[in-house]
Amino acid sequence: MVEKIKRNNTNFPNFLHSLVAPLGAIILTMILGFLLVSIISEQPVLAYRELLFANFDSLNNFAMFLNRATPLVLISLGITFAFRAGVFNVGGEGQLFAGAITTSLIGISFSSLPAFLLFPFAIITGITAGALVGWVPGILKVRLGVDEVVVTLMLNTIILLFTSYLVNQVIRDTTAYGAVSWELPKHIWLPDIPGIPDATSGFLIALLLTILSWLIMFRTKWGADVRSAGTNLRYAESIGIAAGKRVVTAMLIAGGLAGCAGSLYVLGIGHRFEQNFSPEYGLIALTCALLARVHPVASLFTALFYASLLNGAAYMQISTEVPRSLVILLTGLLVLLMTARLKRNSSSAQTFDAF
Amino acid sequence: MYASFIASVLEQSTPLILAALAAMITLRANILNVAVEGMMLVSAFCAIAVGSFTGSALAGFSAGVFGSIITSLIFSIITLRFGAGFIVAGLGINLLAAGGTLFVLERWFNSPGGLRPLSFPEIWHVPDGSLSFLPFLGSVLEEQSIIVLLTFLAVPICWIFLYRTPTGSYLRAVGEDEYAARSAGISVIKMKALAVTLSGLLSGLAGAQLAMDKLHFFLPNMTSGRGFIGLAATLFGAGYPWATSAAAILFGFFGALGDRLQAFDIPSQFVLMLPYLVAIFALTFARWRIYNRNKPAKI
Repeated sequence: MVEKIKRNNTNFPNFLHSLVAPLGAIILTMILGFLLVSIISEQPVLAYRELLFANFDSLNNFAMFLNRATPLVLISLGITFAFRAGVFNVGGEGQLFAGAITTSLIGISFSSLPAFLLFPFAIITGITAGALVGWVPGILKVRLGVDEVVVTLMLNTIILLFTSYLVNQVIRDTTAYGAVSWELPKHIWLPDIPGIPDATSGFLIALLLTILSWLIMFRTKWGADVRSAGTNLRYAESIGIAAGKRVVTAMLIAGGLAGCAGSLYVLGIGHRFEQNFSPEYGLIALTCALLARVHPVASLFTALFYASLLNGAAYMQISTEVPRSLVILLTGLLVLLMTARLKRNSSSAQTFDAF
Repeated sequence: MYASFIASVLEQSTPLILAALAAMITLRANILNVAVEGMMLVSAFCAIAVGSFTGSALAGFSAGVFGSIITSLIFSIITLRFGAGFIVAGLGINLLAAGGTLFVLERWFNSPGGLRPLSFPEIWHVPDGSLSFLPFLGSVLEEQSIIVLLTFLAVPICWIFLYRTPTGSYLRAVGEDEYAARSAGISVIKMKALAVTLSGLLSGLAGAQLAMDKLHFFLPNMTSGRGFIGLAATLFGAGYPWATSAAAILFGFFGALGDRLQAFDIPSQFVLMLPYLVAIFALTFARWRIYNRNKPAKI
C-alpha cells in the first residue's frame, strides 16, 4: 500500500525524467547533424526543413510517411517484446524479410484462390515465418545459453541470401528490372486508409497492435511474467514462473510482429517482394525501441519520428543535394549517444569509480 | 589443385582470423564487441581512399589501421567514459561506419556505388616462385600478402600477450571479475580501453587485408558480416587464441569451399550462406557441449 502511494507521487517526475535522456540524445544528434550539413551545404536551414517537415507538405508526402512508419512501428513493437523478455533481438531484419517473402510466395502461387481464403492464408503464413525466425534464437538462448546477438545477426544474413535466391530464381518478375517478384493478385491488396490515397491501412493495424501490446505487456499476468523473466530469469524461475517458456513465446511474438510488418508491406505498400525494400528497418526499429526505453506506446512515437527522417532525407537530397545517407550517419550517432550518460558514476560499468 | 585450394582458404581466413582475434581480446576483458564489423569497414575505406590518393601502399595500409584505431577510440570513449552499453554502442559504431563511408562517397567522390580507383599500389606479396624450394607450403604461401604473414605472427603474439605478460593477465583479470581486479589495484577502465584499442588495431589489419590484398576497391558494406563471423569464431573458441583462430580458419574453409561449389550448379546464395550457417551450428554445438558437461553438477 505504502509502495503504491509512493509510486503514484513520483510518477510524473519519473515520466519527465525518463524523457530527458532520449530527447537529449535526439537533440544532440540533430545539432551535430546540422553542423555537418552546414559545412557541406550552403542551405543548411532549408536542408533541415526538408528533412523534418517536408513529410507534411502534401497529402501524398504524408501518405508516404505513414507507409514508411508502418513496418517500423511493428518491428519496434516486436523488439520491445524481445527486450522485455531479456533477449537482445538484432534479428528484426531477418524476421521482416521472412514474413515478406512468405506472403509473396503464397500470394503468387495461390493467386486463383478467393480473397477471403488467400488473404488470411498469406498473412498468417507470413507471421508464422517471422515467428519461426524469432523462435530459433529464443530457444537456443533459453535451452543452451547461445548468445542471441550473434545468432540473430547470422540469421539476418542467411535469410537475406535466401530471399535473394527466391526472388531471383523462383518468383522473379522477368519483365521488370532488378530483383523483384511478380505482383501479388489485386484482390488481396490491402485497401488504402479512407481519405488518404496511397496510405496503407496497415498503419491502422499497427496502431491497433501498439495498444494491444501495451495491454498485454502491462495489464496481463502473462506480460508481468515476461517482464520478470527479462529482469532476472533465475529469480523468475525460482518463484515459479515458467520463465524460459515465456522468453521463447515473447520471441515468437517478436518474430511474428516483424513478420507481420513484412506481410503488410507486401500486401499494402509494395504489392510485390523487392530484395531492397528495407533501408535496414531491423536496425532502425531497434534504435526506435531503445530510444523509447522499450515501451510500446513510446516506441510508436520514436518510429514515427524515424519514418519522418527516412522520408525527409529523400526530399532533402532533391532540394539541397545533401546526400540522404546523412540519416544513416545520424542514426549511428544517435545509437552511440542513446545509452550514454553525462555523469561518470551513474552507469553500472563504473559504479566503483565513486570510491 | 589442393595447394591452390589451401591458398584460397588462407586468403578467406585471414580477415576472419584477425576479426576473431579483435573480438577475442575484448571478450577477455568481458566486452562483447560487435563493432569489429564497423572498424573493418572504416579501415577498408581509408586504405583504398588514401592508397589511391597517395599512390603508396604503405600510406594506404597505415591509414586503414589508423582509421580503425580512431574508430575504436570513439567506441571506448562513448562506452567507458560515458557509460553507453557495449552492444548498443557497437551497433552504433557499425551504423556510423556504414553511414559515414557512404556519406563521404556520395558527397566527395560522387560515387555512391563504391570506390574503384583506376590504379592502386600493390601491397607487398610473397613473390611468385621465390618459395619453390618448399614442396607444398611454397605454392600455398606464394602470392600471399604481407598481411597474411602478419596474421601468422598475430596469433602467437596475442597468446603471448594474454598469457605471458603482466598486462595481459591484468586484462584477463578484468574480464574474469571486475571488482576483484579493481581491489587488486588494476585500473578496469584502462584495461578495457586497451582491449578495445587493440581490437581496433587488429580490425584495421583485417579491413586492410580485405580491401588491399586482391580487390583494390571499396564497396559500401563490403565487410558483409565478417566482423560478426569473427565474433562467432571467438565465442566458439571460448576466447582462447589457438581455438579461436582454428574456428576462424574453419569458417574461412567453408567460405573457400563455397567459392569452389559455385562452379557447380548450386545457386550462389546457398554457397554464400555456408559460413553463417556453420557459425550458428558451431556456436550451438559449443554451448551444447558445455551444457552437457555441466549437467551433473547442476543436479
